[in-house]
Amino acid sequence: MPELKVKGINIVETFAEAFPMVGTRVIITAPTAEWAMISARTMTGFATSVIACGAEGGIERTVPRKETPDGRPGVSVLLFTMDAGKLQTQLRNRVGQCVLTSPGSACFAGLEGEKTLKLGASLRFFGDGWQVSKVVGGRRFWRIPVMGGEFVCEDKTGLTKKAVGGGNLLILGKTHDAVLAASTRAVKAMAEMPDVITPFPGGIVRSGSKVGSQYKGQIASTNHAYSPGLKHHADSELPPTTEAVLEIVIDGLTADAIHKAMHAGIHAIAKGGAREGITHITAGNYGGNLGPHHFHLKEIVG
Amino acid sequence: MSALVFDMRWIVDQRLDLSPLVPERLAKLARKKIEALPINTTREKLTVGDVFKVKGNDPEHLRFVGTDDRCDNIGAKLNGGDVTVEGDAGMLLGAQMKRGTIAVDGSAGVLTGASMAGGEIRVRRDVGDQAGGVAFGSTMGMKGGFISVGRNAGDLLGERLRRGLIVVGGKAGDYAGGRMIAGTLVLKGGAGRYAGYGNRRGSLIFTEKPRNLLPTYVDSGVMEFDYLRILEKWLREQDVRIRLGARARRLMGDMAVLGKGEMLILA
Repeated sequence: MPELKVKGINIVETFAEAFPMVGTRVIITAPTAEWAMISARTMTGFATSVIACGAEGGIERTVPRKETPDGRPGVSVLLFTMDAGKLQTQLRNRVGQCVLTSPGSACFAGLEGEKTLKLGASLRFFGDGWQVSKVVGGRRFWRIPVMGGEFVCEDKTGLTKKAVGGGNLLILGKTHDAVLAASTRAVKAMAEMPDVITPFPGGIVRSGSKVGSQYKGQIASTNHAYSPGLKHHADSELPPTTEAVLEIVIDGLTADAIHKAMHAGIHAIAKGGAREGITHITAGNYGGNLGPHHFHLKEIVG
Repeated sequence: MSALVFDMRWIVDQRLDLSPLVPERLAKLARKKIEALPINTTREKLTVGDVFKVKGNDPEHLRFVGTDDRCDNIGAKLNGGDVTVEGDAGMLLGAQMKRGTIAVDGSAGVLTGASMAGGEIRVRRDVGDQAGGVAFGSTMGMKGGFISVGRNAGDLLGERLRRGLIVVGGKAGDYAGGRMIAGTLVLKGGAGRYAGYGNRRGSLIFTEKPRNLLPTYVDSGVMEFDYLRILEKWLREQDVRIRLGARARRLMGDMAVLGKGEMLILA
């Protein structure tokens, strides 16, 4: 039974099990903040889970004019996969199809690192020989002629192999409305934290999965132990009062960033207290056998 | 540690070759050995100690005081550290340098930054002909780095420029950007005749329309260039104030050669 409580909400003594990923960051700019956001949202669309999307991605934050290389409004995007080759493919395809195509956009490196990924270095070929390379302050940019003018894209961006994917929180409550409100609050709090994203719709997963299935070829299936409609089953981890469970998955450039984001998330959830209808905060793991990163809720809350 | 200072005692009657006075070569030398370095360019032997009063002890930071336009090769082949010139510099200032910074309070002579590969040269006043051009024995001009000229530049600015950026606060002479391979020139006060002749892929950026345009440049009209925004912001970070904006008329050329170069004339 859990002993630790925050504002009457039980913090289950367990851990979120996360695994190593490779990650990168790009900065997208545009004539207006709205168009930078449209471009970034398009690039990070269908990037909720590596299970079937090829990558996990999301918007880290908006970037003010004074911080962007071209002085225009920007948005910072993080993208994660399981290996560098896949990340390169995803980056090229997503920037090529979603940012290059977006009116007035430009794309810049957002991460420094010993290892790099091609950005403009691969997209430049769209210029069909009319592309121009320019080096400013030691950074190489490609100017690619397009119908809307010129698409400027930095040659390369950094890659980190210290990224971590799959940090998570499970929020259990007496009503779906209460759980959704608390989860939304948590996502907002995490959005303020640097170096992390919550890749699912609005940052929230309503269909957390487990590895494998009774069906051949199905690599992931419903997390039946946390499905309220299956509380009758012996595997159920839910108390009888639970009516809904939502999950927040967190990917970060470092384990420390995930730790801090989970801390912010838990305290945002607990802000409403147990009276709101939240009963438990727990986390998903696979017994500690799958991922080397274990985020113990007890340590995170402290 | 204080900067190693070379204070000129008197004006000598021959040009001086100051190429030995770079951090890399001075690092392991005692004061007396530095003073014994020959810098003469005629039969009349002259050493550093004959011409300069040497003070300080940090060879990573060099200061030349009271120099004139016959002090050649200051910072030539520089590979790190910084050089300050309180006076004028002669020819080949920072030629073939790879890293480091050179700041000149006065003017510099011909071939400033010729065939340099990296680093930064800032000249507060004028530079002579062929700044960023081709050093003796080289086939290409500047191959990287940054040159900032406060006032005017002579003829053949950035000749055979391969890579890098030159910003001129005043006017450039004839043949600016002549036979450019690539790279960028920013000319605040315009240029003389034949700017960009033989330009293959380079960019010449004019803040105002130049008086004489080669007929081998073709007008592509006015549009916005994010590149100009990036360049302006970076220059501002380098304390080089120049308003570029984003809108410019683009002329492609030189069509007599490859034709993938451009003139961007701010609109």
